[in-house]
Amino acid sequence: MTTEQTPISTTSSLITDLVHRFNEPAWLRERREAAFAKYEEMPTPKLEKTDLRRRSFDIGPFASLTAGGSARVRALLDSLKDKAFVFIRDGVAVQSNIPDTIHQQGVVLSSLHAAVSSHGSLVEKHLGSVVTAEESKWAALNAAFWNDGAFLYVPRNVKLEETVTFVYESSAQGHGAAVRSLLVAEEGAECAYTEVFLTDGELESGKVHADVLEVVAGARASVKIAASTEYRKGPTNFTIRRAKLASDAKVDWVYCDIGDGFTVGLLESDLVGTGSTSTLSGIGIGFGRQHFELTASMLHRGRYSESDISMHGAIRERANSIYRTSTHIFRHAAGAGSEQRDRMLMLDGTARADAIPMLLIDENDVQRCGHAASVGRLDENQLYYLQSRGIPEKQARRMIIWGYLEPTLEAFPDEVVREFVRQHIDEELV
Amino acid sequence: MTEKVNFTFGQERLVTRMASPVFQIRDLHVKVENKEIVRGLSLEIKGGEIHAIMGPNGTGKSTLASALMGHPAYEITGGSVTLDGENVLEMSVDERARAGMFLAMQYPAEVSGVSNANFLRTALNSRLGEGNEVPVLKFHRQLQQKMKELNIDPTFAERYLNEGFSGGEKKRNEILQMAMLNPRLAILDEIDSGLDIDALRIVADAVNSLRSPEIGFLIITHYQRLLQHIVPDHVHVMMQGRIVRSGGRELAEKLEQNGYDWLKQELGIEDETVGAEA
Ligand SMILES: Nc1ncnc2c1ncn2[C@@H]1O[C@H](COP(=O)(O)OP(=O)(O)OP(=O)(O)O)[C@@H](O)[C@H]1O
Ligand SMILES: [Mg+2]
Repeated sequence: MTTEQTPISTTSSLITDLVHRFNEPAWLRERREAAFAKYEEMPTPKLEKTDLRRRSFDIGPFASLTAGGSARVRALLDSLKDKAFVFIRDGVAVQSNIPDTIHQQGVVLSSLHAAVSSHGSLVEKHLGSVVTAEESKWAALNAAFWNDGAFLYVPRNVKLEETVTFVYESSAQGHGAAVRSLLVAEEGAECAYTEVFLTDGELESGKVHADVLEVVAGARASVKIAASTEYRKGPTNFTIRRAKLASDAKVDWVYCDIGDGFTVGLLESDLVGTGSTSTLSGIGIGFGRQHFELTASMLHRGRYSESDISMHGAIRERANSIYRTSTHIFRHAAGAGSEQRDRMLMLDGTARADAIPMLLIDENDVQRCGHAASVGRLDENQLYYLQSRGIPEKQARRMIIWGYLEPTLEAFPDEVVREFVRQHIDEELV
Repeated sequence: MTEKVNFTFGQERLVTRMASPVFQIRDLHVKVENKEIVRGLSLEIKGGEIHAIMGPNGTGKSTLASALMGHPAYEITGGSVTLDGENVLEMSVDERARAGMFLAMQYPAEVSGVSNANFLRTALNSRLGEGNEVPVLKFHRQLQQKMKELNIDPTFAERYLNEGFSGGEKKRNEILQMAMLNPRLAILDEIDSGLDIDALRIVADAVNSLRSPEIGFLIITHYQRLLQHIVPDHVHVMMQGRIVRSGGRELAEKLEQNGYDWLKQELGIEDETVGAEA
């Protein structure tokens, strides 16, 4: 137990508000209340690399509708107009384009609230099955107070051709954010889901942004998940994105954060099934006074499960980034294999980076388990080489940094989002 | 500078210049990690000339080449370097390249994620200057043509710059860059090392085809074999960080046959490396 005091003004009336506003069923209300109780009894966590003592855990009140969205989000939605997307601003689903064809094969695509009404038992079955309220204070906070998020259900053996995109925007009027999304890909299903988190203007400090994404990948399912975030300064950002994989399921993550926020994040695949595989490629662009602690983790419980993590950080100014790449091979996960690469590029002398590889191996019969971590500056010899062919220094720097980031960016399944992220990175690589 | 950009693409070169270059090194001193490696070296190279520098290992040849190109690890502590009267030492690395200098490196860097073609096009456009950029299609046609001449697999255009290239492939890639950028002063540092016999001839042919009054060459090599294909006008021997003997092509032949001992004896040098005092 910790003796430090956390200023908590979060109240249970938020739950009552949500239950009323969305006319939520009893099961959900009970879960929210149980999560809230958990949240209250849990102490402020002590993290090795992040000091949470001065961070408040305040959230709400939630507005029913805030202004229409920034020019940036408008432009993005405009380029997504022919695709399947949902736009949620400050917890309220305000715009969507869901082609009828999507529902033809039994696919369900909607906001999570809408799914609670339309497919209550499906949501009840899976919600909280991958990320439980008990696992951390912010997981409990999210489970108690989530206001909306994505729901995607792909039935058995259905291949969803279209990429589905959820766009979120937060403003100071949201008083924090609690996004919760649930993806269920049944046996043999295939889908690609992208989420984009944006911020509009300065955010309120002292609030919490807690996102949770749960992915249930059934046997032989194949799921691509892309997440682009910009955790900005002001609130405390907590994020948990986790997939649980059945036998021979495959989950490919691509993640990019561009920001100056105070953030503690977890990206994880729980490789429960035999022969399940997962890849995770990440980019982090940090600037300002960013504090960013990200754990990319693979839990190998299934035999012959395989994973690959590859993280790329580029940080400047006074940003402080901690990237932990973690592989846990459990006992009985014979034949499991994993690879980690964690590279961090410090673009300014004032930036700080920490690359922490972690390997926990409880099984003797492991086929491969490699890791490589490095923190460094831009390679002088590469710079000299490009300049020696006439390329000006600034441009040469950009080419090298882009060369380092490009292969990860290419993994974004949707080209609209990919270009959006590319442009955003380019603006931040001054 | 008197330079003219030639837009009649499809012909040999993307960049042509009118004047014959004059490159002058006077009493150059270079330090690396606080140790003087080049110790008073003078050399003049005019357009149309090919100069070869030979010399035992560790005598400062690559240091000279890197310092001329402006590598940040090499500190110039004395002397001057000019190209057509302009002070090269005041120029940044990329300015030197845009002024027409080119160095085929002994150990070229690998750059992941940057394709060969993209790199070369950016380099060429930097050299041509804003408003004179080469059209994409013309660039690729020219690139494929040059790659064919150098017997480089066409897929190398889209491969990442030097990444995973064999020693010989890297060397050919250096020559490809030289052929595309068409410099006024080309320094080739051990371009023959790692090349098989056929590749050596191909590379030599490429150099010979560029030979004109508009370009001067400085070729660093250990072997007479390269100089049989690329016949030099002047041969210099470097020891202890300076040129200790200059002559015609016959000097290279003599060194090939007899080694360096006779020269060291004549000069009273016991240890030819830069660490040793003369
Ligand atoms: N970046 C550097 N850092 C430390 N020492 C260096 C560096 N560059 C050159 N030297 C030293 O300077 C001396 C000359 O090296 P240089 O590479 O110029 O020789 P070289 O004549 O090109 O030899 P070789 O024929 O083997 O290529 C050597 O003793 C070398 O170790
Ligand atoms: Mg050398």
